[in-house]
This record gives sequence, C-alpha cells and structure tokens, in this order.
Amino acid sequence: MPLVHTRRFGALEYADSSVLTFSPGPPGFADQTRFALVERPDLAPVVFLQSLYSAELCFLAAPAKVLLPDYDLTMTFEDLERLGLNTSRQPTPGREVLCLALLCAPESGPVTANLLAPVVVNLETRAAVQAVRADTRYSHRHAIGAGPSC
Amino acid sequence: MLVIRRRPGEILVIAEDIEVEILEASSSYVKLGIRAPKSVVVMRKEIHVTRQQNLEAAQEISPAGVERLAESLKNALSGPIRPL
Repeated sequence: MPLVHTRRFGALEYADSSVLTFSPGPPGFADQTRFALVERPDLAPVVFLQSLYSAELCFLAAPAKVLLPDYDLTMTFEDLERLGLNTSRQPTPGREVLCLALLCAPESGPVTANLLAPVVVNLETRAAVQAVRADTRYSHRHAIGAGPSC
Repeated sequence: MLVIRRRPGEILVIAEDIEVEILEASSSYVKLGIRAPKSVVVMRKEIHVTRQQNLEAAQEISPAGVERLAESLKNALSGPIRPL
C-alpha cells in the first residue's frame, strides 16, 4: 500500500480505494486535489481527509446525515456533472455518494459543521467536490449539539 | 446599502474599472456580466464564505482535541452512529 508522511498520523498507509480526487481542490485549497479518507473506529463519527500533497493539511469531517438526520443534499448542475452523476436528479447519500460536512473546532467556542458546502464523493469513482449550495437553507457554521439531544 | 434600479442591458460602474452589466432578469433570477481587471477577485458569496471556513477548518487540532471533539459529537447526536 502507498505510504505518505503526515503531521497527524506520522507515516500513513492508505489504500488506493480510499483516495478522493478533487478537480479542482476545495475553495481556498485549489491545488490540493488528492486526499485520503481516514477512518478511526474509536473516533467515529469523525473522519479525516488527509491531503496527499501537504503533510500539514488534514480536515475533520462527519457525515452530514449523522449531524442532521434530515439533511437534504442539493447539488448544482455543474457539481453533479463534475462528479459524473445523473444531472436530472439529486444523488442518494450513502448509496451513490458520501456526503461529509467539514468540521471546525476552535480552541474556544462550539464545534461547527459546514452544511452549506458538504464534500460529496461519488462512491463508484471516488471523484469528490465541495458542493457549495446556491441556497441559504443551511449554515456554514452549523453548531453541533445546539439542538435537543438525548 | 445603496439600492439602484437597472434594466437588462444597463450597466453600473464600481470605482474606476469595474463594470457590472445586467444581462438578463426574470422573476426568480438575474444574470450579471462583470468586467474587472484580473487582479480583482470576483466570486459567489457562498464560495467566498466556504473558502474562509475551509481556512479555519484547516487549523491544526491536537490529538486530544480530536478525541474531545469525537466525544462531544457522540454525546450530542441522537441515534446510532453507522459506519460510512
């Protein structure tokens, strides 16, 4: 298996099947086009998007549906096209695509998730895009645990 | 906020060298054409917001911080956590 040196994991072995390919990279990181999706069972539902080009860059994410069970994924025509998906309807998270919200955990203040712009992965091809919504239905700083919890 | 009424085909100018032309308008959207020097960055606001948010999300979090984060997420969520 290929190996990459990272700040968070040290030497990280990753399977080719865990590599997500962006074209271009997420806004602000246009040249970061390859990430390994790293799952650690003890840290679920948090997953990591480790850049394969930059040892320091590692995003934390969680499935949007886990954060908000009724999260409604809406991708633009361009983003559907970019992932090679059917452009006449929205894809089904969990079956056709993986829909991950990037997490922000500042030193002080609540953990937030970017539900305005989830990272969507075509499960068949592993092509990925940060699908920035054109509407304002969800926040880019959705506070975790703000709602009722049990 | 400055509010200006314009019709399709009409233009407004910002500073010396930025022009915004109304190309098309319907009841639900407007199509704008923007002429600006290459040095002027123009992007949809939601992409700009995502860019800022990504820069913040890329800040390093210590391993202990990640564990705390995972823990607080588990506590905050109702229902079982299924693997991906």
